Amino acid sequence: MADTPDKPLGSPGGGAFSAGKATLDLALRIGGLFAAIIAVALVFIAINPAFANPNLGVSILRSLSSVAIMGLGLTIVIVVGEIDLSFGAMYGLAANSLAVMWIVGGVPVYLAIPLAVGLGALVGLFNGILVTALKIPSFIVTLGSYNLLYGISLWITNTGTFNPAYPPSGSTVDEGQLAFFVSLTQSVGAYRMSVQVFWMLGIALLVAYLLHRSLFGFRLMAIGGNPAAASLARLPVRRYKILAFMLCGALAAVAGILDFSFIQTTQPDIGLSQTFPVFAAVIIGGASLSGGKGTVIGTLGGALLLAELQLGLALLSPGPHVQQIFLGAVTIGAVALDLYLTRIRQRRAA
Amino acid sequence: MTAPLSIGISLRGVSKSYGATTALAGVDLDLYPGEVLGIAGPNGAGKSTLVRMIAGEERPSSGSLTRNGAPWSPYDDWHAVAVVHQEPQLFPNLTVAQNVMVGREGHPHRLPRLSAPDLAVMQAFGIGHLRNRALGDCSLATQQRTEIARAVARAATVFLFDEPNSALTSEESDALFAEIRKLAEAGNIVVLITHRLQDFVRHCSRVVVVRDGRVGAVLTGDTLSEDHIARQLVTDSAAITAHTQTASTPGTPVFTLHNWSHPRAFRGVSLTGASGRIIALMGVEGSGARELLRSLAGLESCSGTLDIAGSTGQAARDRLTAYVPATRAQSLYSNYTVGENLLVRLGKPQIAGFAMALRKRQMRQLATGAVQRFKVKTGSISQPIRSLSGGNQQKVAIAQALIGNPRLTLLEEPTRGVDIHSKGEIYRLLHDYVAQGNSVVIYCTEVLEVFEAADEVRVMSDGQLSSPLAIADITNVEDLASQIIHLESHQRSA
Repeated sequence: MADTPDKPLGSPGGGAFSAGKATLDLALRIGGLFAAIIAVALVFIAINPAFANPNLGVSILRSLSSVAIMGLGLTIVIVVGEIDLSFGAMYGLAANSLAVMWIVGGVPVYLAIPLAVGLGALVGLFNGILVTALKIPSFIVTLGSYNLLYGISLWITNTGTFNPAYPPSGSTVDEGQLAFFVSLTQSVGAYRMSVQVFWMLGIALLVAYLLHRSLFGFRLMAIGGNPAAASLARLPVRRYKILAFMLCGALAAVAGILDFSFIQTTQPDIGLSQTFPVFAAVIIGGASLSGGKGTVIGTLGGALLLAELQLGLALLSPGPHVQQIFLGAVTIGAVALDLYLTRIRQRRAA
Repeated sequence: MTAPLSIGISLRGVSKSYGATTALAGVDLDLYPGEVLGIAGPNGAGKSTLVRMIAGEERPSSGSLTRNGAPWSPYDDWHAVAVVHQEPQLFPNLTVAQNVMVGREGHPHRLPRLSAPDLAVMQAFGIGHLRNRALGDCSLATQQRTEIARAVARAATVFLFDEPNSALTSEESDALFAEIRKLAEAGNIVVLITHRLQDFVRHCSRVVVVRDGRVGAVLTGDTLSEDHIARQLVTDSAAITAHTQTASTPGTPVFTLHNWSHPRAFRGVSLTGASGRIIALMGVEGSGARELLRSLAGLESCSGTLDIAGSTGQAARDRLTAYVPATRAQSLYSNYTVGENLLVRLGKPQIAGFAMALRKRQMRQLATGAVQRFKVKTGSISQPIRSLSGGNQQKVAIAQALIGNPRLTLLEEPTRGVDIHSKGEIYRLLHDYVAQGNSVVIYCTEVLEVFEAADEVRVMSDGQLSSPLAIADITNVEDLASQIIHLESHQRSA
């Protein structure tokens, strides 16, 4: 047990919390991720100079929005040391329940949207209570609710597809409400940027505040880092875990509603295939499945890298298999690189 | 240095160091077949390193081991040595018979079958009828018998029992010691390590006391008594820090405990803690002392009344007490910096304000202040917690609890695995804290810690708390050790 050398302390107020060694590690990690994003962009542009096009950038940002929103919710759950597999199904259930309430049931869209988001929070509450009160592992609980939610989507839509512009016979959709719904994600500005991107950025700011600037996030990271210590120190472990699941469910619902507004159609199985890409974005962003680690900027970067690869490879069109193979390779590669760099750092510190 | 034994195991000049730390500094020890040898020693004295050495889990840095006169390496000859732990190291998902066979299954592709010799061994240990039961469904005593049977079946001849009976009932414990004696009588080498001194006296013919990495004393015959062992455990300890206690008059009561009962561990305990005083609780595992400490923090549900600074109930306990567990793994957050670890138990208004926003400037000031107040040696408050030495990590763990200004702080073995220098600083921290009108209760397993840290000690035995013993009245640690033994045996006979 060698004592550390007795160095003078950083003066109070000297930015010790923001510029410390741990923060520097994080900055390197995030810096590496964004270097990779730029490098990938440069490779694509080198292959085809036509890719250096602002419209493509706008398109990437739109397409990553819902992945990022779900990823932010998942980051919260992963930070507290749990897992959620059900958010993709929740994304679908939010869009489908909104469609059924509004298009078939005639509930005004202004009310149906908050109800659908509330449903997401309710599903999170359900997941959270099963995990904390009954002590069922979250992997199992949310694997169950994934199927449960998809089943409910199939049931309420009667396996049908909905488009508010073309309501089924016997139903009518108010023009004003339809215009409002479409305006949620309409494109604005010179480059026709969808408002969905601003929703995503607003949510990112909110989650960044919660995770990195509030007591909620401070305790959330502690609980994820050492749940046994947290409960001995009487931190509100159960309540915070439930809140994390609720936020994840609500954000998945928001993502589902926004994509519905943009795409205009909904099917019972939408969102299911998003589950693993969202996981990949969060893991590439540096969140640790063992809990206590994860950042908003990392998750956004992970989503950006994936969206960039997806669009670039789609345009080069070597075939859909290449996108899948890249997704797999990048996920494993990012984590392997992370572990390797951590080991080097620890060896140097020791 | 005497010649190695021609029959038995001899250690000569065995040393072990980890970096700059010396765990063993030249141990000479003989182990004879047919006797039960006791190994005693305070925490950190090298006892566990010595046991790991004989078990072949460590190689000596220097010195030699011989068996029957020839050089011997338990590291290679691990089949010959069996270690029976307090928590059996077995496979709860396999059956009892499979646990006995595992590692010696025989045919590589066929499902192993219980051989006749293995079954005979199991029957000799009274577990033959349980052979198809999943081990996880069996009692701890059965699991230990399985562990012994497994070792016997693979022809082990050296048996190390490490705190084997601390979680057993007294009937189970008697039965276990009968088996242990049988193993010795069959000509095996048997070693017993325990914190229960009466077990040494009852079951061992010879007890060696390990102190500061050496064999400090060998007790046999008339000298083999609880009192002698207790005195030897604390005598001449290089680790002793100054005995700072003066006969301070206790202040006003901070907490009173009345008719406090636990469903299993203790009944009808009464205790008062005055400001300015550190109370030590002692008692072997299973005595109820640890549970009593945890119950004061509200971590065990008990009946009775606990009044802390005029309030009662769980809410008062949450607000007015803080608990520091024995291992740092249960109090520190490896994903957090030193500063964050110091502040993690705080909330509104100390570190957060409106809308739960963290007050970063306040946090820096609080953390920097705490580093100075609690004498944590760290480059900066934003260093990872793991970069600190063990002693400084322990200071952070204690500071984390004290920083919220609880009235009553409960600590389990507060200086376990901590270097002498940090130890002294931690005791001073605790004294400063109680001097501000607060109360501290610590659970100790070492007499030395009681002597150095506490103002009074109470001994728990079979769920009964002894009368207090004032430390200031006792001039040396050996006397304290024998008085504690006296209190404990008095409790037992009562």
